[in-house]
Amino acid sequence: MGANQKLRRRTVWLLVIILALGFGAVITRLAFLQLVQGEELQRRAIEQQLSDTPISAKRGTIYDTNGKILAQSASVWHVVMAPAYFDDGPEGDEQRAFVAKRLSEILKLDEKELLEETKQNTYYVSVKRKIESEEKEQILKLKEELAEKYQKSGILSLLDDYKRYYPYNDLASSVIGFTGSEDQGLSGVEYQYNDDLSGTPGRIVSAQNGIQTEMPFDYNQNIGAIDGNSLVLTIDETVQSITEKYMKQAVIDNDVKERGVCVIMNVNNGEVLAMATVNGFNPNDPYTINKDQKEEIDKIDNDYLIEHEYTEDPSLLSKEERDKLITQAKNEAESAALARNWRNKAISDTYYPGSVFKMVTLSMALEEGVVNKDSRFVCTGAFQLYDDTIHCHNTAGHGSQTYAECLLNSCNPGFIQIGQLVGKEKFWNYYQAFGFSEKTGIDLPGESDDQFFIHDGVEGNMLDTDLAVASFGQNFSITPIQMITAASAVANGGYIVQPHVVKQILDAEGNVVKNVSTETKRQVISESVSKEMCGILEENATTGSGSNGYVAGYRVGGKTGTSEKLIDVNGDGVDDHIASFCGFSPANNPQYIALVFFDAPTAGNYYGSAVAAPVFVSIMSEVLPYLEVVAQYTDDEANNINVAAGPYTGMSAEDAIKAVEGDGFIAVLKGEGTTVKTQNPPTGTLTPTGGTIVLYTDDSAATDVVTVPNFTGYSVSDCNYIAATYGLNVSVTGMVSSGSTAVSQSVPEGSEVTPGTVITLTFTGTGIAD
Amino acid sequence: MTSLKDISRRRIAEFKRERDASSNGGRRKKKFSLLSIGKGIDIPFIIIMLALLIIGITMMFSASYPVAFYEIGDSYYYLKRQLIFAVIGLVIMFAVSFVDYHYYHRFAAIILGVSYFALVLVLVLPSQAGGVHRWIGFGAFGIQASEISKFAIILFMAHWGSRYYDKMGTLKYGVLPGAAVFGSTAALLLLEPHYSCIVICAMLTVIMMFVSGIKIKWLAIGAGVLAVIIILLWVTGALTYAMERMDGWGQALNDDLDRDMWNATWQTRNSLYAIGSGGLFGLGLGQSRQKYLYLPEPQNDFIFAIVCEELGLVGAVVILLIFALLVWRGVIISLRARDRFGKLLGIGLISHIGLQVILNILVITDWLPNTGISLPFFSYGGSSLLTLMFEMGVILSVSRTSNIEKS
Repeated sequence: MGANQKLRRRTVWLLVIILALGFGAVITRLAFLQLVQGEELQRRAIEQQLSDTPISAKRGTIYDTNGKILAQSASVWHVVMAPAYFDDGPEGDEQRAFVAKRLSEILKLDEKELLEETKQNTYYVSVKRKIESEEKEQILKLKEELAEKYQKSGILSLLDDYKRYYPYNDLASSVIGFTGSEDQGLSGVEYQYNDDLSGTPGRIVSAQNGIQTEMPFDYNQNIGAIDGNSLVLTIDETVQSITEKYMKQAVIDNDVKERGVCVIMNVNNGEVLAMATVNGFNPNDPYTINKDQKEEIDKIDNDYLIEHEYTEDPSLLSKEERDKLITQAKNEAESAALARNWRNKAISDTYYPGSVFKMVTLSMALEEGVVNKDSRFVCTGAFQLYDDTIHCHNTAGHGSQTYAECLLNSCNPGFIQIGQLVGKEKFWNYYQAFGFSEKTGIDLPGESDDQFFIHDGVEGNMLDTDLAVASFGQNFSITPIQMITAASAVANGGYIVQPHVVKQILDAEGNVVKNVSTETKRQVISESVSKEMCGILEENATTGSGSNGYVAGYRVGGKTGTSEKLIDVNGDGVDDHIASFCGFSPANNPQYIALVFFDAPTAGNYYGSAVAAPVFVSIMSEVLPYLEVVAQYTDDEANNINVAAGPYTGMSAEDAIKAVEGDGFIAVLKGEGTTVKTQNPPTGTLTPTGGTIVLYTDDSAATDVVTVPNFTGYSVSDCNYIAATYGLNVSVTGMVSSGSTAVSQSVPEGSEVTPGTVITLTFTGTGIAD
Repeated sequence: MTSLKDISRRRIAEFKRERDASSNGGRRKKKFSLLSIGKGIDIPFIIIMLALLIIGITMMFSASYPVAFYEIGDSYYYLKRQLIFAVIGLVIMFAVSFVDYHYYHRFAAIILGVSYFALVLVLVLPSQAGGVHRWIGFGAFGIQASEISKFAIILFMAHWGSRYYDKMGTLKYGVLPGAAVFGSTAALLLLEPHYSCIVICAMLTVIMMFVSGIKIKWLAIGAGVLAVIIILLWVTGALTYAMERMDGWGQALNDDLDRDMWNATWQTRNSLYAIGSGGLFGLGLGQSRQKYLYLPEPQNDFIFAIVCEELGLVGAVVILLIFALLVWRGVIISLRARDRFGKLLGIGLISHIGLQVILNILVITDWLPNTGISLPFFSYGGSSLLTLMFEMGVILSVSRTSNIEKS
């Protein structure tokens, strides 16, 4: 082979190697990178090329049923840092130290931790959220400093952020809930409706070059944040305020250890108007415990450590160990207190319903037809069942009673017999039908399950003794919301209506996204049984065991309950009780129902009739007029409202005024004398409470006259106002509600009468009267 | 075997033909010898080369204008300079193409000497960024000493291989001189240091030996020794260590790098991002995003990453095919050269270009450590472009004697 031939052959080989192997390898590699890995590489490239700035969505507002704002988000700022822009080497270290120091000063953060964060190699470190405008200004200044000193503009930036405000503080806190640092709902409707409220965060995507200034060409994409939807609750701020006012007072008065609950609900559509757990928390500051809780925790000492089994003998420990244990105990106690404050007792805690449950037992019996007018139930003060003796609260016994009397007497032996007539199987069926064995499905988080009798692993498999105590609401646990839902069914014609707290969902522009409709699950008792129950319960609230629950001027039906907790809460050696009252109004056409419930009142009296019923009355006396429930005055009721004016003539002026005010009237003194000579209205005249009694100390009464104005066509409050300006008294009859107007007056317009004269006005209105 | 007598006989015949042609009615058959067999330069080669040069400058402009804008304030800074260099380069190329390459025979030793001198000189001159000694500066103009060395090795090997073509089968003539030249050059490059150039020099030396006709067994022995060394290094762990030390070679896409490593792999990582972003058809000419200060010095060694981003795999493959065509044509020219020196010189020079292209792309795709290998016709740089155009001129000079159809 010639040298040239060899060269030619070898060159061809070389060419093959270079072209096939070399270029082949190169093209394969490129194809792999561009086609196989391309997507991932491009994603990473875009990640660094685009500055992706999140925009927080504004969280929706929570309104009460009338549009009052219960929770609202306001603009604040979020400081973020891009530590990747720090230089390398000593200059970078200087920049990092400077930024960490200044940030720690402005934001009150730990400088060391900040310095660690500046060493990260990322473009997004969240430094602090929710800073207010004062801090924001300082951050802006720091940004300028950085730009001047180090020519660094991208290191710090401020993003829009929102902070949650609750204008009514602790009002309805257990229903509304609160939000966490990331604006996420943590309890209540804030949690339940978090997805609706939070909206969709947006982002500004803009192209940036390697030194984080804008690209010369336009490459901006603005994906706007979609603000969250707003909620309109069924909660009425006024009703809730009234409720909490009386509940708080009652918790103090009765030294209630385990908090009190009041739920007010519309019996027909399940709208919850008020749901109070007192004491709750302030959602503006949810991590702060109440003052008295703080005092309790501060008291933690060695004894506490022994009692709560932290250690057997603190004296064996060194001081440091002891202090450490005490700190630990305090922290744990504080966490427990917080968890307790956040807990919505109305739905999350279960209790023995006690005698309130008797309305359910009697409803079952009536629906099943196992009792009738002739049925008699004898109470001897105790009931013997096998080896157990079950006592009635009346140890003397109620004697022979009808089923209605059993309820009026709240007689346990009577109800044991009614329960036995119903039978275990039926009782269990009704228990389920009334919704006690399932969650009510209220739109709030943390609803608990009931605990009913279980034998041989079968729920509802009751023993005879179980049935006996269950008849009067003992030894099984339900939630307050289950009780009020079942009581609503008793009152509303037998319908189990799902309770709810959200009425409407609105979008950011206020358009209705969703209207929550009434969800009726089933009918458990017939209309007629319901009607009869209403009658019995009204009688009970008027003359029976529930008469402390009578609300003047309104037809109320209700039942007291006192159940044994079988736990000694306050450590006085006696098991504590739960006092409750469940009532509705108007009894002839139920609209609103309220359950008042105190867990462990320890101030002495613990009966539902003594502790809970008066609170029910206080609350309903304000709430029912506010809710424009038709006032239905019977003659008897009129007597209760119009009070006879007392004999004030002959008293000294001072004593007379005291007496007048003591009787509930307003005194107007006329004349220069010291002794009352005449009064108007005269003694014995039925005068409206709060009306005016004119006391004359001289003889001017004969000449002192006012001309009667026209009242017809005016509303009750207008009439009261007019009467007050003229110094007259008005007594109202007929159907009085906010929509009604006076149609006649007992003294015609233009007549001259003595000041203080009572004029009877007759009203009619558009409301329903029976 | 062609003897010296045959060559001189052929030469005489050639001259006779020329003389006949010129005296044929007082009219030269081929007046301007651009295209002619024998005296003209190779037009296809020029066309391919010009295509690469035009595409290269266009892409260099596209890649460089953001950097030029942000860092210098003149988007056309690199374009203007590169255009000037290209014009000068073209002039040099044509001028060199008229120089009879046989001239270089006598310069082989001298240029080798210049190469050694330059390699020593850079070591005593102040170092450049990164503490390396690579550049010899002449005012605003600088040249890498290694550029001279590569040309010197090719020239020497071509000279030696043609001078002692009949003794290339021996160890003494075939292997030792080349090994000595390469070894001494590599030793000096090691001091700079300039590892990639050592690799290229080694490959060029081997290629030149191979085509010059040395016995395969020597290459096999060399390869065996190299393999043993590599295995030894690998077994002792030194290789892994060295690879890790090599500026994070292969680590660019690793997610948990410390800050130093992150910075060291910055250029390679952004190169990969750019290549990957291109996909099949690219983002379009001028649409690269990675050139916006993400990929440092996109106009230099990493320019092909921007090409891949803008033109996609399709554009990149087309450009590589044009390079392949250039190599192909260059080899054809060389093989048809009239003498062994021309053949070897042409093959050496065109192999050099092919190697540069392959190694450059292996670097930007992270298959080789980032060591500074420029892409012919694309990378910005006066001295490298001028050196390249000079070499092209030499190949064209060879083509003048090449016995092929040139149009």
